[in-house]
Amino acid sequence: MKVRLESLGPITVVIPQGRLDFGAAAAFQTAIEQALAGATALIIDCAELEYVSSAGLRVFLLAGRSSQSAGRPFALCALRPAVREVFDVSGFSRVIAVHADRDGAVAQIRQRSV
Amino acid sequence: MRRRTTVPSDAAQLAVVTQFLQEFWRAAELPPAEARTFELALEEIFMNVVMHGSPAGHEPRIEVSLEFCDGKMILTVEDDGPPFDPLSLPPPDVTASLEERRVGGLGVFLVRQMMDDVSYRRTGKRNRLRSCKRIAPPATSAERMKH
Repeated sequence: MKVRLESLGPITVVIPQGRLDFGAAAAFQTAIEQALAGATALIIDCAELEYVSSAGLRVFLLAGRSSQSAGRPFALCALRPAVREVFDVSGFSRVIAVHADRDGAVAQIRQRSV
Repeated sequence: MRRRTTVPSDAAQLAVVTQFLQEFWRAAELPPAEARTFELALEEIFMNVVMHGSPAGHEPRIEVSLEFCDGKMILTVEDDGPPFDPLSLPPPDVTASLEERRVGGLGVFLVRQMMDDVSYRRTGKRNRLRSCKRIAPPATSAERMKH
């Protein structure tokens, strides 16, 4: 799995590409922690994320918790159907903000920061 | 169609068994959209044996069998580790808040939700977890030509 980062002003966008399985989870967690350290808000754009397992869900859960305790907005967007299904079945899409696209995630974060 | 492979109980083998599944999928001409569900089931069940069913000093062998028959896909994972029924674990609370959510047991929960049927059996010195799901029949060559 590869991870790209983009900046939208104060918002950091993390873009995981490929498969987030057990083997990729540790590196993804490190990437997220680094991104969180310098961000006032974090969006994980999942448009290029093909697969996620419970090992990957754990990283999203930890990132959501860290963001919440630091008082920083955190959202996911653009989940592909196979990934969306895992988030829905696990109930994670009820505890983590999930938007259809990046614009929706950005709009919500900007609204909250006003 | 039926295939099987055996690997040591080692996290590094996840990539090997995943590739085995993907090759089976292509050879059987099964719909790619359904592959992810089985990749997920395989990862969760396989990693469960690696993480929880492999006591120090004993590295079990894990056998993965795949069978597609009469529109039904069957994944069977067997290991020669100590008796362990992952289906006996309590289900996670999927309605808990972000703070209270736990990941333990989530993998097996996902498999149970996404498969039609999952069953455990201890036979001799082996654990056997069988997952199956009816999947849409593969497109015929003629149908594929239209796309």
